[in-house]
Amino acid sequence: MREIKPRSPLALLLIGIAVLYAVVLFAAPLVAIIYGAFKDGIDPIIETLTDPAVLHAFEVSIGLALGAVLINTIFGLVTAWVLVRQKFRGRGLFDTLIDIPFVFSPVIAGYAMIVLFGRGGWLAPPLFPIVFALPGILLAKTFVSLPFITREVQPVLGALSLEPEYAAYTLGASRWATFRRVILPELWTALLYGIVLTFARAVGEFGAVAVVGGNIEGYTETATSFVFRAMNDRNSTGAYVVSLILCLVSLLILFLMNLLRRRMVVSRG
Amino acid sequence: MAEQSQVYGSSNIGEQPPSSRPYVPGFGAWGLRLMAISYLTVFIVIPLLVVNVQGLRFGLDVFWQSISRPEAVSALTLSVTTSLVMTVINTVMGTLTAYVLVRYKFPGKTLFNTLVDLPFAIPTLVIGVMLVLLYGPQTIVGKFLQQELGVRILFDTPGIVIALLLVGYPFVIRAVQPVLLQMDSNQTDVAQTIGASPWTTFRRVIFPIIRPAMVTGALLSFARSLGEFGSIIVVAGNIPMRSQTGTVYVYTQVEAGNMQAASSVSMVLLLVAFAATIGIDMMNWRRHARN
Amino acid sequence: MKHFTVIAILVASLLALLPASAQNTPPPITLTLAGYAVPREAYDEIIPLFQQYWLAETGQQVNILESYQASGAQSRAIAGGLEADVAALSSEPDITRLVDAGLVNEDWKANEFGGIAADSLVVFAVRPGNPLGINDWVDVIQDGVEVITPDPATSGGAQWNILGGYGAAWRGFVPGYEGEEGAAEFLRALATNIAVLDRDGRESFLTFERGIGDVALTYENEVYAGLLAGGEYELIYPQSTIRIENPVAVIDTYVDAHGTREVAEAFVNFLWSEDAQRVFANHGFRPVNPVVRAELGIFENGAGAAAEATPAAEPSSIEHNPLIAFPPVTDEFTTLDIGGWPQARTQVFGEAGLFTQIIAEVQGR
Repeated sequence: MREIKPRSPLALLLIGIAVLYAVVLFAAPLVAIIYGAFKDGIDPIIETLTDPAVLHAFEVSIGLALGAVLINTIFGLVTAWVLVRQKFRGRGLFDTLIDIPFVFSPVIAGYAMIVLFGRGGWLAPPLFPIVFALPGILLAKTFVSLPFITREVQPVLGALSLEPEYAAYTLGASRWATFRRVILPELWTALLYGIVLTFARAVGEFGAVAVVGGNIEGYTETATSFVFRAMNDRNSTGAYVVSLILCLVSLLILFLMNLLRRRMVVSRG
Repeated sequence: MAEQSQVYGSSNIGEQPPSSRPYVPGFGAWGLRLMAISYLTVFIVIPLLVVNVQGLRFGLDVFWQSISRPEAVSALTLSVTTSLVMTVINTVMGTLTAYVLVRYKFPGKTLFNTLVDLPFAIPTLVIGVMLVLLYGPQTIVGKFLQQELGVRILFDTPGIVIALLLVGYPFVIRAVQPVLLQMDSNQTDVAQTIGASPWTTFRRVIFPIIRPAMVTGALLSFARSLGEFGSIIVVAGNIPMRSQTGTVYVYTQVEAGNMQAASSVSMVLLLVAFAATIGIDMMNWRRHARN
Repeated sequence: MKHFTVIAILVASLLALLPASAQNTPPPITLTLAGYAVPREAYDEIIPLFQQYWLAETGQQVNILESYQASGAQSRAIAGGLEADVAALSSEPDITRLVDAGLVNEDWKANEFGGIAADSLVVFAVRPGNPLGINDWVDVIQDGVEVITPDPATSGGAQWNILGGYGAAWRGFVPGYEGEEGAAEFLRALATNIAVLDRDGRESFLTFERGIGDVALTYENEVYAGLLAGGEYELIYPQSTIRIENPVAVIDTYVDAHGTREVAEAFVNFLWSEDAQRVFANHGFRPVNPVVRAELGIFENGAGAAAEATPAAEPSSIEHNPLIAFPPVTDEFTTLDIGGWPQARTQVFGEAGLFTQIIAEVQGR
């Protein structure tokens, strides 16, 4: 559909409604949070940002989100490959299963981990503490962000022409070299897009982490758990400041997503 | 499944053909398959198994009792109804927004288009915090709504719907947008030239083409909002039978140590959400079959 | 990245250890405290005092990790594998669960304070000027009064609130709702008026602070914490109310696994020291140490000031906050007066409990 300049009153009305809806829904809460973070001046902000508990919470959130990205990138790529390129019994089932974390209540995922690894659990005692410790949070973050990379890579991989691949084989390239030189470059943008979405989801996770982490300050507390706790500690400024930083992180993520989307349009257009 | 990834945000402008690639053997096929299967088993099959075993561990009777407890029924109903209300509003507004974003040039459009994805990037807990700041009873907006209009947003149903609207915002837009982009403008131009009203043009020409995408976006946002927790926990009142949603009920049951009830109710939630995603798959399949 | 962080932390902590071990002092020890939601501010003051005390006594540094959440939830987390060394919870059943799980020895109550770190009372917070004239339990259940209390399924504080009203009615302090049956009717009326049921005492009181509801049922100390933080509401004592007893226990299985028994026991004993009890009092808790109770003029029901023999207090650097007072109420009862915890736990709460059934019934209408 062609883009046109809005001239009719109807067109202006439609634009007005769409913009107003977005403003009421998004801009107002964003303004509210900026106001909330700055309303007591700059001192509480500095105080929050130099609070070791806050810094540690961000470290845990970001470090473990990167861990989840690493796991999901490696295994997500392999899974996408297997689901697109291999035919085997049960493939359809596995393909469907991938969407589960997308609709699964994260709280129950966290609780499943306690059933597995908690005291007296099915797989207890594990070799090292998992629940109420950092590995549990890593598992929780990996679970909730699992679908993104596979789901981004799958369609691109499925649409790839096989000819360059055959050509590479014919010319004597090894399978790994073919993957790295011929296939991966094609997947790169979709993969990065998936990585960005995975990271965003993993950083922002709260429900599963709340159940599995135990909210031990300076240890298993994440940035989102800090927000929740600060709200309950009458440290609302702290909650708003950390929320605002999380918003800024997500705006950065959005910017990256947008950049990647343009690249995708260009590369496919 | 190609449809899904559009909605996760990537713009697969144009339809991806369903994958019908022949099996390319080799490449350590077995090793890779093993890797993929163990990954999905560890992260998805086992947790699912745990929940099902916990939910059914005292037999079907107890499972049935747990999900037919009035509090559970009411929590599930609240989840489904708030999600449905959200889905209806979101589908209308999302389609309109997608149309505006595709059809018209206006200042700030690029920024607008970028910000549509915000809910994919922002922690949902932060969405809840924002809503408390905006609609709390002590804020200007909250006071006005409560005192002048007698509407309580926070700790009641409207707060839940607003939170879900934020969470579900991008789904319909991102599903409908690429289809509209692909549409031939000539058709609408012709319709208008022969004197059809804008409404008729929409109803007769545009709507039939974007309908599948609308439904996909709607179902996805519905499925997504059933499992929503982070924003709801902050804005919902948690009163059994009144302002406790399914996921919050599950959380309360987990915290209260009633694992069997928590598992049973989350099985039902999962089933409903999953039925929605299967609906999407079937629709895509039908469409591909038709083409 | 995660590995780098872990390695970096390991290296950093090794470096931090080097000078200490060079001076031949014991290595620092870490203690994990798992608490219920509301006493955080008090512990934030007590912990540094204990750290000084322990350093002076043993030359050892002690780091204390803290986790706070709703008492019931915290107790279940500990039972599920949250390896805390000390549990400071809201009510006895939450420690009993740990005893049943084999984590805490049966004799945890065997000291002069019965394992109770601090007391409090169930009180009301109302809007400035008390516009609805809520002065006793009977006013709370009037039509149209919006009541805020946490959820007894997860919160210890909520169980205290419910038992407070239930006991007051049972004991004849709510006209028209006397005796066991009257008390059940009272709970029905109370449940009808509940507007928000948060998961823990703190969340619930903050909901009230945000302007929801006409009256909050809560701990006396929680209202003081809010008033000290600048909250605007009034503290109302009903004629008859329950004495809240907040237990604390060393988690035997975990301290033995961590090798922290000595310091964990010292920490718990320190909570009963005069200074720690004064800190509790400054945060609105009713102290259990008789010396500090005497300083504040808190005596058992009916007992005059002269009746209690009070040892002389040692001079302390901690002064009492003059804004906090602990007036007596006409009828201060304990759980023992209404049958004890085990009975309350099964008959009032729990899946088939009276309150659980009532709330589903009245809110479902």
